[in-house]
Amino acid sequence: MITLNRKFKKDVNERPNGTTVESVKRISVRDKLLVKEVQEMNENLPTTCSVHFEDPDVLSEFILTVCPDEGYWTGGKFKFSVFVTEDYNMEPPKVKCLTRLWHPNINVDGDICLSLLRQTAIDEHGWAPTRRLKDVVWGLNSLFTDLLNFEDPLNIEAAEMYKKNKTEFQTKVQEYIAVTKGKR
Amino acid sequence: MSGDDCDALDRGDSDGQKSDKMFTLKKWNAVAMWSWDVECDTCAICRVQVMDACLRCQGESKKDSYGKQDCVVVWGECNHSFHFCCMSLWVKQNNRCPLCQQEWSIQRMGK
Repeated sequence: MITLNRKFKKDVNERPNGTTVESVKRISVRDKLLVKEVQEMNENLPTTCSVHFEDPDVLSEFILTVCPDEGYWTGGKFKFSVFVTEDYNMEPPKVKCLTRLWHPNINVDGDICLSLLRQTAIDEHGWAPTRRLKDVVWGLNSLFTDLLNFEDPLNIEAAEMYKKNKTEFQTKVQEYIAVTKGKR
Repeated sequence: MSGDDCDALDRGDSDGQKSDKMFTLKKWNAVAMWSWDVECDTCAICRVQVMDACLRCQGESKKDSYGKQDCVVVWGECNHSFHFCCMSLWVKQNNRCPLCQQEWSIQRMGK
């Protein structure tokens, strides 16, 4: 809380020294939104999630860790990097999964298929400036439970394995979790 | 309170029964409430009241001839209202109301 306020004040003070009016203006809108949204996100964090800011003065980059307590990925610890671009909230944050995992909606390169992170969508599920960081966290956390979708997969192999043999799928999920645990 | 008590209060000082009264009304303040005549008064894009300047304009501190910030409100056919600045940035990406996903068309603009 104190850090956020200090950060906000620092931004205001630094404005006249900025390089270009355009970039300074944009940074400030994103950061003004972030001051409120980061606090709101922290207050509404699901029990399975935690966030870590590498640099406490940079609210636009953080790591989200999800430790699912139900479903196939129980026991795993999955890290996501969240980068809020300067065009926020006209653009969704850019999210990558840093932990290798076996999941129909996240491929082994860490790309994520989650509708609310999609910039252009024709339905109500895509990104809209009415969405906030807490919604992004909720969405990523739900990829392991409610939003898990085998019908529109990014990792097709994983989805097909699930349809053919759920036990084999479960084993592979836990194998990936075991490998990441071994690395730590 | 009975009707007789009320009469005694209404007559006030004029009937010379001052000593009998528990209290007299010396001063009263009227309170009026108001709100903007819109369905939602906060811009869902920048989360600032639509009647105030939007987050972007506040940063730039643009002023009109009256010394007020020149940032108008726009109402869509869906009756949702936003800052014109905020909405014009969003429709470039997706020509739908971010609140109800209806195709965005302007009903009116102004303050």
